[in-house]
Amino acid sequence: MTLYAVEHLSLEIGGARILEDVGFAVAAGGCTALVGASGSGKTMSCFAPFGLAAGRPRGSARLEGAELIGLDERALRPLRARAGFVFQQPLTALTPHLTIGAQLAESASALGGARPDRRAMAAMLDRVGLSDPEAKLDQWPHRLSGGERQRVMIACATAHGPRLLVADEPTSALDAELRHAILDVIGRLREDGLGVLLVSHDLPLVARHADRVVVMDAGRVVEDGPARAVIETPAQEVTRALIAASPRLDSPPPDLPVPGAPLIEARGIAVGFRTPGWRRGRFQAVADAGFALAEGEALAIVGRSGSGKSTLARAVARLGPCDSGAVLWRGRPLPPRARMGTAERRLIQPVFQDPAASLDPRWTVAQSIAEPLRNLIPAMDDAARAARVGAVLDEVELGERFAARRPGELSGGQAQRVAIARALAADPEAILLDEATSALDVLVAGRILALLGRLQASRRLAILAITHDLAVAHALCHRLAVMEAGRIVEIGPVPQLLASPQSAALTRLVAAQ
Amino acid sequence: MPAILIRRLATAIPTLFAVVLLSFLLMRVAPGSPFDSERPLDPAIRAAMERAYGLDQPLPVQLGRYLANIATGDFGPSLVYKDFTVSKLIAQGLPVSLQLGGLALLLAALLGVGGGIAGALRPGGWIDRSVSVASSLAVALPSFVTGPVLALVFALWLAWLPVSGLGGPSSLVLPVIALALPVAGAVARLTRTGLAAALAQDHVRTARARGIAPVRVIVRHALPPALIPVVSYLGPAAAGLLTGAVVIETVFGLPGLGRYFVQGALNRDYPLVMGVVILYAGLILLFNLIADLLYGWLDPRVRG
Repeated sequence: MTLYAVEHLSLEIGGARILEDVGFAVAAGGCTALVGASGSGKTMSCFAPFGLAAGRPRGSARLEGAELIGLDERALRPLRARAGFVFQQPLTALTPHLTIGAQLAESASALGGARPDRRAMAAMLDRVGLSDPEAKLDQWPHRLSGGERQRVMIACATAHGPRLLVADEPTSALDAELRHAILDVIGRLREDGLGVLLVSHDLPLVARHADRVVVMDAGRVVEDGPARAVIETPAQEVTRALIAASPRLDSPPPDLPVPGAPLIEARGIAVGFRTPGWRRGRFQAVADAGFALAEGEALAIVGRSGSGKSTLARAVARLGPCDSGAVLWRGRPLPPRARMGTAERRLIQPVFQDPAASLDPRWTVAQSIAEPLRNLIPAMDDAARAARVGAVLDEVELGERFAARRPGELSGGQAQRVAIARALAADPEAILLDEATSALDVLVAGRILALLGRLQASRRLAILAITHDLAVAHALCHRLAVMEAGRIVEIGPVPQLLASPQSAALTRLVAAQ
Repeated sequence: MPAILIRRLATAIPTLFAVVLLSFLLMRVAPGSPFDSERPLDPAIRAAMERAYGLDQPLPVQLGRYLANIATGDFGPSLVYKDFTVSKLIAQGLPVSLQLGGLALLLAALLGVGGGIAGALRPGGWIDRSVSVASSLAVALPSFVTGPVLALVFALWLAWLPVSGLGGPSSLVLPVIALALPVAGAVARLTRTGLAAALAQDHVRTARARGIAPVRVIVRHALPPALIPVVSYLGPAAAGLLTGAVVIETVFGLPGLGRYFVQGALNRDYPLVMGVVILYAGLILLFNLIADLLYGWLDPRVRG
């Protein structure tokens, strides 16, 4: 039975055509997934009919037979309550100054419903798999982890008994293990007849959880069918490209350069943080961790969120605190950052997760790339610096025409290429990739990974890659270090570890892939 | 909550001490003495007066004595208002200033926050634009302009309210409005800007998606974070309003604290100036503490 049907939906914003003749349907108890590259219009198709996105759409969208298009805010609000919404960013999507209980009660009673008592609200949290639900009611969102917050979002979105759940990339900010857990929660809600409209660029995930797939490209629907059929026998080029770009662990191992002389050796690294609040304590983020990295070698550090992988990598790169332990660079000890000379600072350069946030929005691309040159190679003159900027822009396949642009004029993938160019500008011997592809959609992430692979071979660059995605490790790295609760529990060659994981942490990660 | 209170009190005492020390020394460094007047004073009489008030002693001794006295709550005699102690003068002026400043603060907060919300409900609408123009005007016009203009229109021409002096609630209406206007203008602008930023945040979209009515979305979900800059501004502003608005008190002939401060400073009435400075510093510390507690209430994340 069709619960929600969208037909001939189109949308123009400022003369630009965002959606054109989009149509899809969600059955009661079914899960329809909208997939596509970023900018293909999947999020807009979800939210525009409900008045939650800019612009006034045309066409038709009927929820349980009631038409949504063409209504004003006042008329739309009661209809919106027949649906629940889950957004991508669990960290910012909950109101920070209201407790979980207050938000849950408000969601349940937003449109005249009865205010639920504590027992009922605790039951709602229990249903989405939150531990200790009674105590969580009195917590503020910032005290919960990303996965817990996303569960709260789902509880809030379904508190008023909606017929349809609209989930926009509900798991892409979460690590691999949590992704399936969250979608399993949504799956259980479907048993009661809830229809789900899921937006995702993660095809393996969609294949496991959705029963219908709608592929979008440039504001249009290009393919629509049962999930299994679309993913196993894609009819369209766009779909085939999406599937090919999705990293898979069973693809043949890539041709990696042969590692050279030992470059970095880290021993006995320990980092602790003071826990905030009235009762002071210490939280041991990394304990007694060590690894070695050779020239031209890539090491992936994997683990769930909070396992200490970023803290360890930053301590080794001397970008973050380090309480004890030694880092040797070609056998010589590397001093703490404050006592490093420019030659030592040049050795390792970072690339971070969110390219938009790691570039200064007021600087041009050329200024950003030139900055490390100014600081690390002060003797270089202006002409040589400009030439070097042009050369690294070519190296990351952007070209000099990007030099004068600012971050606001770049796409996510282009911005990440600029960040990589900036890291390479001063000729480092190693780069630190901190989730460098996880904020990008699959197609773009695949191209960035390919670029990094080429740079690794051409520059004999050592790479330290922090990731929660085993596929990144598989595509780029020689060896894999698995972290859990601040310790390295397993380290070895990637193919070997993936074939027979020893630790519980890696077994879980492999299973979640 | 108790932790922040204890920490704040622990830093308040050295801060107050530093304020006392600095203002004591600055007053003495300034040329002139409390006994200067049009006619030169007989040196013998001058010496006798200085001895009587202990001003002939070396500075460290005077400072030590002063600190010992204020520790027991004795702020000393006024050197200019004969037969009055500083405590008595403050006790006379403070209630008037507190009434005037407190009412002005309340009015400014209501007008400012209300105006800011009204503007944010329909961004770019006529209410938004009127609030924006009115608040710029209110901030730009100094109170020595708005005060006399209000007195001229409502007291002299329309004769609705008394021109000046203290007598019943009606005599406070015009000074309170004149004092509140610039603060209300600033609060309205801060609220409007804060709301514009808060309304663009993800959690507000979540609230809208839950089907919550627009007014409730603004008041409950967007307003608290938007008020944080307002609170930072109002903390010190409140201390200033409550300890006396010199210009407004002069224009409307109100016997508040502000004129003591100014006259005390002009006359080198050392104990009077010191007393008012300590009161002002104490209020600043108090309001900053209140502001910090409010931050924690508006955004639980700052509590850690």
